[in-house]
Amino acid sequence: MAAPVSNSSGCWGVPEVYKHHEQRKVCISRPKYREGRNAKAVKVYTINLESRYLMVQGVPAIGVMTELIQLCALYGAVEEYRPLDEYPAEEFTEVYLVKFQKLTSARAAKRRMDEKSFYGGVLHVCYVPEYETVEDTRLKLQDRRRYILRAVHNKAKEKEQKETAEKEPTMSSDTATTSERIVMRHDKASDDDNTGEASNVSKHPSFPPLPLPPREYNYYGHKTQHGTVSTEDKMGTLHNAIIVTKQQPAPSSSSSQTSSDGHKGAKHRLTSKPSAVRFVPRSTNLENRKRKMDEGHSLTDATRNDEPLIGPKLPEPPKLDMEDESLNTTVSLIRNTMKQVESVPDLKPVEKKVKPRRRI
Amino acid sequence: MWRKDSAESSDRFEYLQTLVTEFQDTDSEEAKEQVLANLANFAYDPKNMDYLKELQVTDLFLDMLTEENENFVEFGMGGLCNLSMDPECRDIILQSSGISLVTNLLSSRREETVLSAITILMNLTKPSSRSEITDPAILQCMLRFSLSESPRLRNLAAVFLQDYCTEEQVAQAEQQMKGQQTAVGIPLPEDSS
Repeated sequence: MAAPVSNSSGCWGVPEVYKHHEQRKVCISRPKYREGRNAKAVKVYTINLESRYLMVQGVPAIGVMTELIQLCALYGAVEEYRPLDEYPAEEFTEVYLVKFQKLTSARAAKRRMDEKSFYGGVLHVCYVPEYETVEDTRLKLQDRRRYILRAVHNKAKEKEQKETAEKEPTMSSDTATTSERIVMRHDKASDDDNTGEASNVSKHPSFPPLPLPPREYNYYGHKTQHGTVSTEDKMGTLHNAIIVTKQQPAPSSSSSQTSSDGHKGAKHRLTSKPSAVRFVPRSTNLENRKRKMDEGHSLTDATRNDEPLIGPKLPEPPKLDMEDESLNTTVSLIRNTMKQVESVPDLKPVEKKVKPRRRI
Repeated sequence: MWRKDSAESSDRFEYLQTLVTEFQDTDSEEAKEQVLANLANFAYDPKNMDYLKELQVTDLFLDMLTEENENFVEFGMGGLCNLSMDPECRDIILQSSGISLVTNLLSSRREETVLSAITILMNLTKPSSRSEITDPAILQCMLRFSLSESPRLRNLAAVFLQDYCTEEQVAQAEQQMKGQQTAVGIPLPEDSS
């Protein structure tokens, strides 16, 4: 039983160093077939261990609280945050408590930020469910139950539809939506698996068939993609929600090549996969769009309308407003930070230059 | 390596099957713990539940509850905690005397195990099982937990008492506890451990 170090006086009182905050030793003895990409400790995650509340340790004590919270905010709305001065911290580091609006955001933030370097330090992020109120716990359990029941219900429905679709050879829009749902759940599933800290992360194949990237898709690396879209699927991965809901994958055709491009490994896997997934910088997209609008606009329209439509009509490409200011969030942040850094006066005194040289 | 859709799902099933096989065949306690934790984490994702049911992993987890190794117990309970929200798994657990197996673990010294136990009991509650789950002995246990120093334990116990029992049941259990107290003269324990 985790023995508390000191007595606590309510949820916001002096925190205790609980066993589940500690970073366990990484497991080194796994056989190859179940060795994950990243070494992980042996730990089981249940709904009791997860929480909207995260604790971030190892934040360098150089006044970067705002930056930390901005980083957290990439994964979802942050309701509250405060430094945990009372919590034992390594020298020159700070500890913060961050409360997310949604558990899924906390899950994504933990997964992405844990063990990552931040302003020269390495962050250790863990759930801190002991900060929950009774109501928090209750809602957490209810949400989880609802999610499971919905998933089970969808699966049952999908089974039914599959059976009816098999009986009817013609393609209907139903199956298209079914494949969307399958993809969405695969998506959620891959996130779900990734929340567990066992070594099943890289091995499981539940990567959704990635569609061809939309022309307007941003490329700044996986983190910043989150800033652009407000939709967030239940399991907390923002950018995959974009892919899946806005882009209907043409069933099974081009997606097969991209299937192994999991969202998690998006960073490095996409670069290693040469073919389908190509991220194009936004400036190029803006230019492309302009060009396309200028040349042969009326022509293509006319032909498109006359052509008889065969097969299921694919949905419109996502209407992403490239002029939207929110797309510049990360760039503005970086620019502002740069400005601040540059505006700091040089520490070296300028007097040296001013001093007149003695002529000998 | 991992193809998608039907190929992918059979890959997934095969992988899970390999895990279960390793668990059954290996002599290494350490390997068993790792695989058990793996499976318990896989159980968190509803997508895997069908495969796990097919591989009878629910029974595997239930078997762990009577093991000496506390890690086995803890991981098995974690797996059941994750699975028990699925109605079919819930019924499998109920049919295998899950309530009494889980209830026994309310006195475990591992906090995670106890937390899982409370959650599983909540998940197992349905009209036919309600009376067994709100047995006075269990309620008294929950009342003690609601006074615990551990916030997680306090919260879960509170949710259990508030949402899964009637006020009368709770009042009755409190009365019984007081009765025992005065009879024996020993105060309620401070700590849940």
